[in-house]
Amino acid sequence: MKNIKYIVGLIVLLSIFTGCEKWVDFDPHEEYAVTEADYLRSESDYQSMAVSCYSPLQWLNQLVVLGDIASDNAVAGGENASDVAVLQQVDDYTTTTNNGLLEDLWKVSYEGINRVNYLTQYKDLNIAGEAVDFAGKEELYGEIKFLRAYYYFNLVRMFGDVPLFVDRKLGLSDFGTIQRSPKADVYAQIETDLMDAINALPSGNPKNGRVTKYAAQALLGKVYLYQEKFTDAASMLDNVVNGPFTLVDDFDSIFLLSGENGSESVFEVQYSNGFPYYNWGGTTRGQGNHAVQQCGVRGLSGTSAMPFASGWSTNLPAQDLAAAYADGDQRKEGTCFDVEAYKIANPDLEVKYDVAPYKNTGLYNKKYLPRKGQTSGQVELNYDNNQRIIRYSDVLLMAAEAYVRSSAPNVAKAQEYLNRVRDRAFGDDLHRVTVSKEVIWDERRLELAMEGDRFFDLVRTNQAATKITGFIVGKNEVFPIPQREIDISGITQNPNW
Amino acid sequence: MKFTKALIFCFFATLFSVYGQAQDVSINGKVIDENGLPIPGASILIKGTSNSTATDFDGNYQIKASSSGTLVFSYLGYTSIQEAINGRKNITVKLKPATQSLEEVVVVGYGTQKITKVSGAISTVKAADIEKQKPLRVEEALQGRASGVSVIQNGSPGSKPTVLIRGIPSFSGTSPTVIIDGVPQTLDDLSAINSADIESLNVLKDASATAIYGIKGGNGVIVVTTKSGKRDQKVEITFNTYGGQQEVIKKIGVLNATEYGAIINESSAASGGPVIFPDLSTLGYGTNWQDEVFKTAGISSHNLTARGGGEKMSYFLSAGYLTQDGIVGGGDKSNFNRINLTSNLNFELSSKLKLVLNTSYVNIKNQGIAENSFNSVLGSALNFDPTVSVYNTIPNTIGTYGFSNLLKSEIFNPLTKLANTYNESNGNKLYGKIELQYDLFKNMKLTSRFGYTKYDQVGKSFTPLVFYGPLNTENTLNADGTTVTGKHNSVNEFSNSNFDFTQENFANYNFNINDSHNFDIVAGVSFSRSSGYGFNASREDVRDNSWAWADISAATGVNTAGTYTASTFVDGVYTPSTFVPGNTIGQIGSSYQNLTRKNASYFGRINYDYNDKYLASFSARRDGSIAFGTKNKFANFYAGSMGWVVSKEEFFNSDFISLLKIRGSYGTTGNENVSPQYVSISTGGPSYNQTANSNGYTFGGTFTPGATVNSFANDVLRWEKQTQFNVGFDLSVLNNLSLTADYFDKKVDGLLFIDAPPLMAGTSEPVASNIGTTQSKGVDMMLSYSNSLAKIFKFNSSLTFTTSTNLVTATNNDGTALINGGFYFNGLSQYPTRFEKGFSPGYFYGFQTAGLFQSFDEIAASPTQTGAQPGDIKYVDVNGDGKITDLDKTKIGDPFPKFTMGWNIGAEYKNFDLSVFTYASVGNDVYRAYERNAQYSNKFRNILDRWTGQGTTNDANNPRVTFSDTNSNARVSDRYVEDGSFVKIKNVVLGYTIPSLWYQEKVFSKVRIYAQVKNLVTLTKYTGFDPEVPGGILDTGVDRGNYPQARTILAGLDLKF
Repeated sequence: MKNIKYIVGLIVLLSIFTGCEKWVDFDPHEEYAVTEADYLRSESDYQSMAVSCYSPLQWLNQLVVLGDIASDNAVAGGENASDVAVLQQVDDYTTTTNNGLLEDLWKVSYEGINRVNYLTQYKDLNIAGEAVDFAGKEELYGEIKFLRAYYYFNLVRMFGDVPLFVDRKLGLSDFGTIQRSPKADVYAQIETDLMDAINALPSGNPKNGRVTKYAAQALLGKVYLYQEKFTDAASMLDNVVNGPFTLVDDFDSIFLLSGENGSESVFEVQYSNGFPYYNWGGTTRGQGNHAVQQCGVRGLSGTSAMPFASGWSTNLPAQDLAAAYADGDQRKEGTCFDVEAYKIANPDLEVKYDVAPYKNTGLYNKKYLPRKGQTSGQVELNYDNNQRIIRYSDVLLMAAEAYVRSSAPNVAKAQEYLNRVRDRAFGDDLHRVTVSKEVIWDERRLELAMEGDRFFDLVRTNQAATKITGFIVGKNEVFPIPQREIDISGITQNPNW
Repeated sequence: MKFTKALIFCFFATLFSVYGQAQDVSINGKVIDENGLPIPGASILIKGTSNSTATDFDGNYQIKASSSGTLVFSYLGYTSIQEAINGRKNITVKLKPATQSLEEVVVVGYGTQKITKVSGAISTVKAADIEKQKPLRVEEALQGRASGVSVIQNGSPGSKPTVLIRGIPSFSGTSPTVIIDGVPQTLDDLSAINSADIESLNVLKDASATAIYGIKGGNGVIVVTTKSGKRDQKVEITFNTYGGQQEVIKKIGVLNATEYGAIINESSAASGGPVIFPDLSTLGYGTNWQDEVFKTAGISSHNLTARGGGEKMSYFLSAGYLTQDGIVGGGDKSNFNRINLTSNLNFELSSKLKLVLNTSYVNIKNQGIAENSFNSVLGSALNFDPTVSVYNTIPNTIGTYGFSNLLKSEIFNPLTKLANTYNESNGNKLYGKIELQYDLFKNMKLTSRFGYTKYDQVGKSFTPLVFYGPLNTENTLNADGTTVTGKHNSVNEFSNSNFDFTQENFANYNFNINDSHNFDIVAGVSFSRSSGYGFNASREDVRDNSWAWADISAATGVNTAGTYTASTFVDGVYTPSTFVPGNTIGQIGSSYQNLTRKNASYFGRINYDYNDKYLASFSARRDGSIAFGTKNKFANFYAGSMGWVVSKEEFFNSDFISLLKIRGSYGTTGNENVSPQYVSISTGGPSYNQTANSNGYTFGGTFTPGATVNSFANDVLRWEKQTQFNVGFDLSVLNNLSLTADYFDKKVDGLLFIDAPPLMAGTSEPVASNIGTTQSKGVDMMLSYSNSLAKIFKFNSSLTFTTSTNLVTATNNDGTALINGGFYFNGLSQYPTRFEKGFSPGYFYGFQTAGLFQSFDEIAASPTQTGAQPGDIKYVDVNGDGKITDLDKTKIGDPFPKFTMGWNIGAEYKNFDLSVFTYASVGNDVYRAYERNAQYSNKFRNILDRWTGQGTTNDANNPRVTFSDTNSNARVSDRYVEDGSFVKIKNVVLGYTIPSLWYQEKVFSKVRIYAQVKNLVTLTKYTGFDPEVPGGILDTGVDRGNYPQARTILAGLDLKF
């Protein structure tokens, strides 16, 4: 009697205990959560992940702002000296090692790299060990390898030697184990990825924002140029020069919505305003282009016919830039918007605006001047405007430079390429200049101002110290490695920071 | 078995012996209190039977009983008395109130314990105190009354305060566990409970008291016991009602229009700008927007309760209604309405089987306004342009209220903001328990309890089209009332539903050996689960731009596809692509799944005492949680305590000291506030999470969703383990003065913390790890005095003292894992608080100021400070590197008080009663974050003492004014930190019990009227509205224009039938 009771009791107790163990097992599917183990099972999974490898391109829009504010082209403006302090530091050459903008650009670039790495890690076999093959898989990998090259290229030109890893997405056990790799190794990896991309991508020109073979060739040409491999650069860029691109006659229209992905567009980061994104904790992470808001005139209003919308005046072209344009150069109007002149010229529009409170230049970046109806939701974050990254004119100028600086120069070709750019700018062939590397560099400034390359061009061509106030040779060629990364990962800082 | 049989035999033998001599006689008598006044409704039970009666209104009773029997006289709040009849026919007894009596029990985990035998640290608040105070939320009753508990209240109707029991042990969650009648609930559930239903509140503080709750016990436990009926209790009906008004206590000094104009002109001039207001003399005083948004707001409450019991069942029934309007904006836009229905039923299904059925239904309806930011209603009232008239005076413009032509975005007329605020939510909650108790044999009881909470909520909000002013850049309506191209109004609706349950089975057994060794044992198992889901949807284009039509079903917004034309390249002619974007937000919806949480636990406790003199308790719990890594699902928690009642020792023979008990405890508890571990894939588009790890891209002008890896998994994640040491004593002197004091030292090991992932790991959600430690230590004390035995003038008073110091002793190895918080915006996004190694949790982090630069010479002689001009704030070069950089940021304040005190005074004289409660908080700093600091935002009065030239002032609070703040005077610094110490007279009640000759005594047994004032007086140096600024650990004390508590004046009536 007694024993039976104990036995029954024991069984009950045991069943309770085993029940306990199972009760607290976690099954993510109960919350309809998709886990790593569920994913990369189909073509569409691979396609979706590849789409998100593009997302960090959009998040890099502040790199465009940085590239001009750090140079002699633009100032940080704003309401006062502490408005957009991270940009003011860059502008004033008082950048600290914990500059949040640089930290974000660093992190965003690495997010792109991790996303691509994850896909290359599971290219042949997914996590479950299955092979998922589909038509166009190689082309898809060509696209994302371009993206990885693009992310590394921006890292290396911003920071110099950077951590280099391509075999996997970093996991918990990798934290703190990776050191910086020499710049040369990073460039070698960029070249490998771009060559893979060029080989995998079809020669068609889909023009919908997907990476093309021409974009990869243009970027590789640019990468060669940065490494002063002029012969390689010239021949690589000629592929693009001879591609299906033409210069747009009306310079201004390149930057309108109607000019997006136009005949001059080699590589363009795509934005849209369908998502009314409102996360101020990640201003660049929606589908919209936050950099446009920064170009706008404060308190701008007028009649409904007045096309422009107001903004923050935190990225203002310098008067020095406007003065660099010769008379008749339509790029001046297309780059430097003089709001007061506009007001006087258009009394019907009843233009009102606030003078930029800080570092006023009276000029605004016309290429990305916010316009009415181009944003939605949290208006500051959702501008529709694509960011033009590589234009055909840029390719022509890069090719011209490569031919001029090559060990076996082809000046005639260089002159021809330069002429095409000059002729478009003035609408005639009366303003041609004789080609030289210095002439090409100046032309790059005029053609590509406020598009984010000026600082990197000045450093690349050793002009930075003479052109930029506050630039210290041996230090400011690169930005500081984010202090937080140094603290967490134990990597080294750049010299003199 | 033999033992049980013997017991049963004894039991029946006793019964027969009683009935054997049955020879009933009628007995009369009266039950009176210690003042000789009759006690109506007292219960008289014939011992050993279920026969009973109750006294009538005059305290008289009549009962038939055996002349050799015994009568048991009892009444709630009084000590029961047993009287042997001994043949008497008339028995009058005097009941004494149960003061800190030997019979008093406290509710602890899975049982009760006589207070004399408690060796842990427990604070108690009784029904009488709660009834006096009429708290809107239960936590209000704990503030200052329960030592060891810190409560920081909020003024917004129905909102949750910050509650900390014994300091801040953790980052991931500091809210104590709430147990209502044995059923685990959360702090959020306390807004749903009617204070009139509460019998007692016990706060379990040390590990020996909380370890039986294992991982849920780490932040302390609030045990709420609701009222129930008693067996054979005559029905007792009460009706309580009160009504009153609330008003703002204090307004903040802002500039009037003329002063504003002068400061704006000076600021503009300082940055080389034009004169903004050429003629100051036209400005006058302008509008003080605080006067416009603060309203007198009503509050009222009605409660009806009934309780009683018969032979086989007893009941407590209650119905309550509370309605409170908000003082910001008034009841139209800000209110809280609650209906409570409670039914607590006990059934004796058989002599051994008892069923407890507690059921509560709550309906909460509320409306709210934007709070706690510079552009909220209150924030706008502080920062908006004072030169603007209240009403719109500009011809040919729509809009009721005035516009600013200087503030063109962000900050709007608060009245416009208020008028365009539309929302409502409606929640229904059903909670309670079904409990079976079975007496297996004498002193051995089995309990099976199923506790549940079902909560459903629906709500909606409407964002109308608004015209903010002719120059405003955020208009969605034009001045003529037409819609701005591309703008839409929208309505959002949500619905969510949750179900939580806990199933517990346990056994209580108590026995003694040799009448001296007393054992009380409990053991059991518990399973719990909580889960839920939600939906929300929004749609644009609400008819008439009106709240009346604001519903998904009536809105007409539709999504449209964009039209994309691909580029062509034919015969060398290139035609670019074109895209006309469509509307993708005309109609959208989403659903979400609430986290499923499950726990499985088994637990046990042995309480032992030797003659009530030597006390010991040991408890153990094994807990499993769904949240942890596969390798660490379960953990064990143990705690023990010992007590020594010195005053019971024979050598201790003192008439002066009636009780001296020394207690000590040590044990572990835990915390599981972390999400389950797995590597997730996120899909779709933009992310609104902390790391904004967004997906998707735009191809051909059209958004294409994407997918990415969104988290890391930590398989070895485990509990956060707290180890707490407690030592204390209880002392009673001359039966009416008592002191309880405890010292605790709590260490957390394996702090659940968000590790600092390398930046190069990207933007996946950071991973939780057990990487930190914290320490809290402090003292809780309560001193109380009562002369309850006095006849005419009764007086009682109690004083509580609570202190704790908290320190984050480690995060990760190198201290790089830290959390910034307290976000506010003053032109820049600022994060003034931190959780970081080496500092107290949530401390204020920023620059130290050292006065103002008086001259360029002084600037030149000081550490390099970019942009500084004379009149700007001079910051301290904390690291001594000769320049002012972010590395100079340091601790500039602490939002949590050094100590808090509560002082309660109660007095009764004849029919009058008075109660005064004072609460003090000392050493809590407040960070002033409501100042928007834009060029044209209004400024605060201290600016009138600003620096205007060398030697005018050296006060870092008053730098020069300028539009171009090149020095960034607005950066986070001690300039914005103020001492928020305060003393508040929180509650004053004056009551009068109307003598029975004045009313029909057959109807009422008691009629009391009272007047009450809450927040009568606040003494503080803080310049903002209210130094009590609640929030999470990283938001407490950051005042972004927090909803202040109101001064409330009430009149009420308590009736007893």
